[in-house]
Amino acid sequence: MRTKFSGILTLILALVVQLTFAQQKTITGTVTDDTGLPLPGANVLIKGTSSGTQSDFDGNFSISANVGQTLTFSYVGFSAKEVKVGAQNKINISLLPDAAALEEVVITGYSTRNQTVQTSAVVSISASEISELAPTTSIDNLLQGKAAGVQVTAANGKPGQGAFVRIRGTGSLSAGASSPLYIVDGATIREQELGQIANEDIENITILKDAATTARYGSRGANGVVVITTKNGNRNKEATVRFSSRYGVSSLIKPNFNVMNVEQKLQYEAELFALGLGSAAAPGVSTNPGSPERLKLIDESPDWQKLGYKEGVISSNTASISGGAEKIDYFFSVGNDKNTGIINNLNGFERTNSRLNINFDAKKWLSVGVNVGYSHATSDEPRDRNNSQNLFRFLYDVNPYERYYVYDADGNQVFNEYGNPLYNNTNTGFAGVGSILTEPATDSWNTFLASGDAQVKFTKNFSYSLRYSLNSVNRRRDSYSLPGGVLINLIGNPDFPGNKLDFESFRTDITISNNLNYTLSLNDHHLNVLGLYEYNINSYRDILARKIGFPTPILTTQVNAAQLNDANTSANKLALLSYGLFADYDYKEKYLASASARYDASSNFGKDNQYGLFYSFSAGWNIAKESFFNADFVDDLKIRGSYGTVGNRSGIDNYASQGTVSFSNPYPGGSSSTPDNIANPDLKWETTKTTDIGLEFNLFNNRVKGVADYFIRKTEDLLFPIPRADESGISTVAGNLGEIENKGLEISLQADVFRTADFTWTLGGNIIFLDTKILKLPEGKDVSPSDNTFNILYREGAKINEHYLVRYAGVDPANGRPQYYKADGTIVYADGINQDTDRVLQGKSTIANKEGGFFTNIRYKGFGLRTDFVFKAGNWINNFVESNLNSDGASVTDNQAVSAFNYWQQPGDTGVLPDPRTTLNNENNINSDRFLEKGDYIRMRNVTLSYTLPRQYMDKLPFTSFRIYVQGQNLLTFTDFYGDPEVGLSSAESISFAQTVAPGEATLYSYPNTKSIQLGLDVSF
Amino acid sequence: MKNIFIKIIAGVFVMGGLASCEANLDQIPYDALAIDNAYTSPQDFENAMRGAYEGLISATGNITTGMYGYIGSGSMLSAPDVLTDNVTLCQNGRFTAKDLHDWDYNGNSTLSTVYSNAYTVIYRTNLILENSVNLEGDTKANIVAEAKALRAMAHLNLVGYFGKIPTQSADANGSLGVAYVTITDQFQLPARNTVGEDYDMIVKDLTEAAADINTSNGVGRMGKNAVNLLLSRVYLYMGQWQNAIDAANEVTTPIAPRAKFVGIWDDTSTDGLVFSIPNTADLNNSIGVTWTQGTKTAIINEYVASYELTNLYAADDIRKEAYIFTGKSQGLEYNSIGKLLGKKGTSSQLTNGIVDYKIFRASEAALNRAEALYNLGSEGPARTALDEVRTKRYTSPPSGETGTALRDAIRLERRLEFAFEYQRFFDLKRWGLPIIRENFGDLKDGTGTPSVDLLLPVGSNLFQLPFSQSTIDQNPNIVQNPGY
Repeated sequence: MRTKFSGILTLILALVVQLTFAQQKTITGTVTDDTGLPLPGANVLIKGTSSGTQSDFDGNFSISANVGQTLTFSYVGFSAKEVKVGAQNKINISLLPDAAALEEVVITGYSTRNQTVQTSAVVSISASEISELAPTTSIDNLLQGKAAGVQVTAANGKPGQGAFVRIRGTGSLSAGASSPLYIVDGATIREQELGQIANEDIENITILKDAATTARYGSRGANGVVVITTKNGNRNKEATVRFSSRYGVSSLIKPNFNVMNVEQKLQYEAELFALGLGSAAAPGVSTNPGSPERLKLIDESPDWQKLGYKEGVISSNTASISGGAEKIDYFFSVGNDKNTGIINNLNGFERTNSRLNINFDAKKWLSVGVNVGYSHATSDEPRDRNNSQNLFRFLYDVNPYERYYVYDADGNQVFNEYGNPLYNNTNTGFAGVGSILTEPATDSWNTFLASGDAQVKFTKNFSYSLRYSLNSVNRRRDSYSLPGGVLINLIGNPDFPGNKLDFESFRTDITISNNLNYTLSLNDHHLNVLGLYEYNINSYRDILARKIGFPTPILTTQVNAAQLNDANTSANKLALLSYGLFADYDYKEKYLASASARYDASSNFGKDNQYGLFYSFSAGWNIAKESFFNADFVDDLKIRGSYGTVGNRSGIDNYASQGTVSFSNPYPGGSSSTPDNIANPDLKWETTKTTDIGLEFNLFNNRVKGVADYFIRKTEDLLFPIPRADESGISTVAGNLGEIENKGLEISLQADVFRTADFTWTLGGNIIFLDTKILKLPEGKDVSPSDNTFNILYREGAKINEHYLVRYAGVDPANGRPQYYKADGTIVYADGINQDTDRVLQGKSTIANKEGGFFTNIRYKGFGLRTDFVFKAGNWINNFVESNLNSDGASVTDNQAVSAFNYWQQPGDTGVLPDPRTTLNNENNINSDRFLEKGDYIRMRNVTLSYTLPRQYMDKLPFTSFRIYVQGQNLLTFTDFYGDPEVGLSSAESISFAQTVAPGEATLYSYPNTKSIQLGLDVSF
Repeated sequence: MKNIFIKIIAGVFVMGGLASCEANLDQIPYDALAIDNAYTSPQDFENAMRGAYEGLISATGNITTGMYGYIGSGSMLSAPDVLTDNVTLCQNGRFTAKDLHDWDYNGNSTLSTVYSNAYTVIYRTNLILENSVNLEGDTKANIVAEAKALRAMAHLNLVGYFGKIPTQSADANGSLGVAYVTITDQFQLPARNTVGEDYDMIVKDLTEAAADINTSNGVGRMGKNAVNLLLSRVYLYMGQWQNAIDAANEVTTPIAPRAKFVGIWDDTSTDGLVFSIPNTADLNNSIGVTWTQGTKTAIINEYVASYELTNLYAADDIRKEAYIFTGKSQGLEYNSIGKLLGKKGTSSQLTNGIVDYKIFRASEAALNRAEALYNLGSEGPARTALDEVRTKRYTSPPSGETGTALRDAIRLERRLEFAFEYQRFFDLKRWGLPIIRENFGDLKDGTGTPSVDLLLPVGSNLFQLPFSQSTIDQNPNIVQNPGY
């Protein structure tokens, strides 16, 4: 061993000696940029060796090299330069910005293209922007207000919950079919699973909006494509280690209305009982103000808000190491994110993730790369029902004088047989707060995202690449009703206490992509042609088991339980086969053109209709590059246009074209077969035709940037569950019928209002003006998507997702009775209303017709103050929560808003709620627009005050960058809406995320949005 | 050379991939069977037959939506009582199906789920009947008979709600009933048949079924007794008294004795059951939420037994104990409906609402006979038939009535025997009687809040429920009932 060691040592010594024998000398110099400013941290390498150095803070470097060797100078964003070592001892070098590197690179479907020669409407969001915004846990929420034409509606405020993203309106009338396609490093991922990706791993999010690029995704791109790429290291750069850490608190955004306190509720009960509503047993009736009984009630009433809510804790910690050598680059990260949410006794969401991305030049003609990311997440899943099993509904409904625990006649607290407290079911019939402890439900996710690729260079012009991408999401749901718990005590089986569901699903999406690439640069002509052959398969399996009869609440696994209640597995697959040919051409970056054709076949369509052809054409002209154009302040002025067809295949069952019977509906005595799906061999693609005209400009040395786009999206052959006559015994058959249109104007502007060395102030914003219209429906008949909405009706000529309700005409001041409009506009009382025929469409849709965001960013030396606002206008929300809290006595047994006191009392009263007595005649249960409200709001999504340590201190510190910040989210909201205007899901157990066709239609107690303040630190060295 | 080699490798890879991927476009479902393979063997038809029955109780989660489903959508389990004087809306409930109780229905809120679910059952029976041409052998006749019987039953329930009943009024037979559907065409837009046509087709299906059906078809399925019982009811509704008696006489199931009676409702006894559906572990349908949720001492009542009905049960009437219990909640007491409360557990009756569906019971045959005999003027035999039931319900049964007192006794006994058992609305309707609710509240002692509406007069259009607007939208050949 020792011998071996000394042998190696000798060898090394010999090498060193040999080096010194060469004609070596020390070279010093300065590396600067084109304006003469020093470039600290530039790489100086001796070509063909691994030795090198970096420039210091002042751009100075010093390196030993032999005469005849070549020094390579490189810096990110600048073109590398090579200088041969000769007689000189000093080399001062000035690097020129790399036009291509500095330009925004846009990942436009299977290839990247520089923004300058781009002919498509795309928006790119970079890693730095993502980290500046320090989003909570899911990236889709972050997209709101960032990109013109991208409408984002947070599903709710549950930690880890995603958002509804709609690009350029609503492209389909089917559930789940209007979401964009998400691609992470080549693999598709579902919108619901975006929360599994760590934000810190994302290098870039590119949103493809028009057909010029979405058509390259063929049958899946009709609703836009969000291309997410993860980070890579930089070649020839020593490792950068980065730590990023945040910690903060979150809390409920206080509603802009008040609910009754104990005294108020008791008074309200008494007032309404005098009018003939409610029960004589109600405490407000059976106790007198000031009586000992009443004082006892007030005394014993708990602080329900405090029992239900807590201050949440948010924390995020990530570490990454990235770098590279000449032939390899790498990025490695680990991270942990926590967001407890605001429900007392729950842990909320936690995600742990790791990623390793490596690219490697294996041979001159072969490079390989692998991206592997893994995350594990757990999430508490409290009930999101529209009843008091939902904590948020419970806390609104519970009478403030109700007690938390159950007490016996002597006032002693009562416990169940396991020694746990019994919770009072209260007026709501279900102990909502207590059930958080006795009905735990948790989801856990294991997400594995991997892609590997190999690129083969045949010739200078020809290359081939193979990419294998895999995304595997395993989800596990544990849902337990504890023996002796709230639910079990109500509906459980005392012989078999407790009830536990274990559910696991496994979803694997594999994409194998073969690309043959041809590039040609001849004089000023640049051509790139890409041939694609791709195969995608999505497989799903799940398994569930439910047992009852648990001996103790401590044990939760099925093996402990006595009786099997339910056990199941199911599976499905969906395959897609694609051929594509895409071409991009430019002449002097002045005249630009692209074309694409993609031929897709999907397994979920009818045998003879599996194939669909999707194509696009686009062209652009950068006028600023013309010699005749001599306005110097214009850097770029580009006009572009595109047209194309794109498909959609989501929103239908994987086997929707096939006639089947199912055995999944049990019946005693043996197997039972029931007709399941009615065959439609003609089932085919939904097709969207998009026309886009855009204008892009960069002015004053890129100080002012702007993009405007006008688009028309027409979708035909809508995938639709086409209803059949009830008498046929068949509810719906999947088919293609109908036509809708989304058109609009998108503008986005950004300007550095001030730009000096020490001080910059950037203002920016974007907006979409959107019009939606239903052009054609099956046989011209109205369609009511009643399974997935409350009161939405589709009618030809109307907007998409219009509310269909009777109009409320206010309270008759003479007698306090609620009035309504008949369809013809005459005002009548409830008895004159036909709840069918008097409903009307009023052009009030759930879809905002103006939406966007704006920001200001001030930097002074190391200080930064960034504020981001998001806004939405023109959408209408049916406010069921307000309706329930102002129920005119119908819910006098539940707690009400303070405003419920403001009811009609005498002739002449105006601006009041109806006389509660009218409830006795069912005058208030007309399904009307009484609580249909504008959803307009402006919300300060983010305000960040940061300090970045200036470079001059870095020399003395072991860091290359150091930033601390304090950030507030959702601290300010401007709205007239009753409650929180950010409404996505009403109640996930009424209409689930996947089923939703009209996000934000109504409010129903889903997890509320929260505000937060966080303190963060980013360091690298 | 090297390049060519690489190209060949790549080419082979791509071509190989092509061939195998192409094949994957032919995906076949894992969780369902191609319909072409579903109606071939005799076993297939047995499976399909159970599937047709499944439409009576089909469930989504624990909430049943079939014809005999959960109350929220209004169903056979609840609506025939919710519409009548048997129940009072309870203020501590969720006001489920209040529109039905208040006769406040319209095209936007009606028994649309029952309607579509009945046609689901009909569609399934028609699929069996159409495919039965492929079936050979000795099981065929029974399958065809059973499918027809089920098809008739579904139509009878439909026409009872949406059309008149032949004996209800003179114009009933000529008025519009429901579409009697016998084909499976997904594009069909059938028009309504007249009530007379509907009943003729129901009788035709049932008589053909009675001839061929097995004596018993096992659990959850109808046999000869069930078909004859249903047939006797149909004849009774039609006023064909002798036919009703003849069919009822074919029912051989004995009436449950008094001692076994309470056990019927916690599933410890099956005495007297002619057609019932076991609520097995794989179903676990909480049908009891129709009336109550929670335990007896912490109860949420949707509806309670009306104070009037509760007091109609004599002290020695076993049915009071079987049907009504004192439910407590927040210090208040109610006459809670116990018929669907739960099975018997190891120690006491469970309250999870999971209990067998009792569709037909033998006592109906006796009461059908009693009523038909009375209408034929045979008072003595009518009283005997009535007493067949009464002797098995009371310790000292009333007897000896004559004339209208006998008629009223038969009607009263039918109300008491089949309270909360899907008959009352149809009975009042066919007898041409108004629905009169007494002005008592929802609490045990008759205080509390009474139902809002107390009288539905004879001749009111509200006896015929409205078709759902969406039904009419899909099928313009369906003419809405008058008055909506």
